Amino acid sequence: MTHLTLDKVSVHYDGQPAPAVERVSLDIAKDDFVVLVGRSGCGKTSLLNVAAGLVEPVGGLAAVGGRPITGPGSDRAVVFQNDALFPWLTARENVAFALRLRGVPADKRARRADGLLSLVKLGDAGDKRIWELSGGMRQRVGLARALAAEPEFLLLDEPLGALDALTRERMQTTLLDLWAAAHVGVLMVTHGIEEALVLATRIVVLAPGPGHVVRTFETHFGRRYAAGEPIRAIKADPAFAAARAELTDAIFEGEAA
Amino acid sequence: MSVGAYSERPAAKSGEKDGFSVPWSRPRPKPRRAVSARLVSAITILVLLAAWTVAASLQLVSPVFLPSPAAVWAKFVVVARDGFVDATLLQHLFASLWRVFAALIAAIVVGVPVGLAIGISRIGRGVFDPLLEFLRPIPPLAYLPLIIIWFGIGEPSKILVIAIAMLAPVALSTAAGVRGVSRERVDAARSLGATRAQVIRHVVLPSALPSILTGLRIALGAGWSTLVAAELVAATRGLGFMIQSAAQFLVTDVVVMGILVIAIIAFALEFIIRRIERVLVPWAGRE
Repeated sequence: MTHLTLDKVSVHYDGQPAPAVERVSLDIAKDDFVVLVGRSGCGKTSLLNVAAGLVEPVGGLAAVGGRPITGPGSDRAVVFQNDALFPWLTARENVAFALRLRGVPADKRARRADGLLSLVKLGDAGDKRIWELSGGMRQRVGLARALAAEPEFLLLDEPLGALDALTRERMQTTLLDLWAAAHVGVLMVTHGIEEALVLATRIVVLAPGPGHVVRTFETHFGRRYAAGEPIRAIKADPAFAAARAELTDAIFEGEAA
Repeated sequence: MSVGAYSERPAAKSGEKDGFSVPWSRPRPKPRRAVSARLVSAITILVLLAAWTVAASLQLVSPVFLPSPAAVWAKFVVVARDGFVDATLLQHLFASLWRVFAALIAAIVVGVPVGLAIGISRIGRGVFDPLLEFLRPIPPLAYLPLIIIWFGIGEPSKILVIAIAMLAPVALSTAAGVRGVSRERVDAARSLGATRAQVIRHVVLPSALPSILTGLRIALGAGWSTLVAAELVAATRGLGFMIQSAAQFLVTDVVVMGILVIAIIAFALEFIIRRIERVLVPWAGRE
């Protein structure tokens, strides 16, 4: 099975006195949902950008299936916090963007895009312009667009960060549904502790100064949802509350009060 | 005062249900019927026209200097029908429009790629930025003689003068639009497999389109105001030429009429290009 691996990766931006990330290793299999959490400045987004090929590490090795990552590629589609959709295209054309780049014929890519739009429950929004969609709908178009590239890994940079609390909660289950349906490995960055617990199969807690891994949690709440358990029941489980307390402690560990 | 005082208040008006009046339930006071800016503009124009008519009919100024509005209108009809200096008004108009549009196309063909180069490459910026900054503040009348020395007095010189005046606004607006493209949009396209050329074609150019169109609007204004200068030399047709030759014979009513026609056409062009903007970039300002 293909793995996305970061091996002792360090990131140091030009003009910065200290590195942003130092010797962080990650291994993401194709059925993993790995969530990076941590305080501001812990290098979460830097690591995601290394995996995306948008930032070149100064040390260590990033690779997909053993091949070193040398730049962005459609095997690792990125979804950003701000949707980054193209307002001159309809929702359908946005989703079909990767297919258009590859020269897929128009009727075929429209059909594929419509299929993906119904997968994210936007089946009738294909002709809508981006500015006619709500924040949650835009983010779903962004996810469908990323999946259209048929990536092996989805890299999500706070994809729900700009949404209101209720939409956010609904989008969490959408993400889990997509993850199950699309057979992709996910690497996600978030600020939400509960969000991390709901979604992840593994949570990697980072701490700043420079960014390093402090703890790794294997979690099972996302898989329980995938197995059919309702999300509310999972969140009401005392085990969930205990995990949340433990994760919160890990995130704020070592921080001067 | 007792609590009952509330119910004794006069029957609830809108927003005062049950006689209650709390700040957040009261409707916002409607703004006093504001006089619309358009009405003020219309009145201003009418007043000026009236002043002009009165001044002309009282012969406060000699008709050689200030012909009456009626005389200008009469001249408009005559020139439109019979022409002035061997061409009808429409022929003058089309000669000028053709020069401005030929120049606009030349400015787009050169200016958009130059702006793109400035926006996306450090070398492009190094090469073109100082050239444009050098060219931008020079008045067209200053380089007109040099262009005539180089390219003669034919049609190409006239178009070139206008095109040079249009180049800087087109190129600089394009560059600004390109530099304003959001980083996330470009990164998203690259992660979907776009090559550098595809990013430029499918992301950078459409993102910069609103800014490019603004540049065209400014360029059209600059070109239109360069027109008279361009038609100073050896033109036989054109609105600028018509005004020039009328001035030489002190046919002031044709001069005034020509100025008004130039103003009206400029206004119409501005209106048309704003319409085009609304159709081509409906997302501008809505993101």
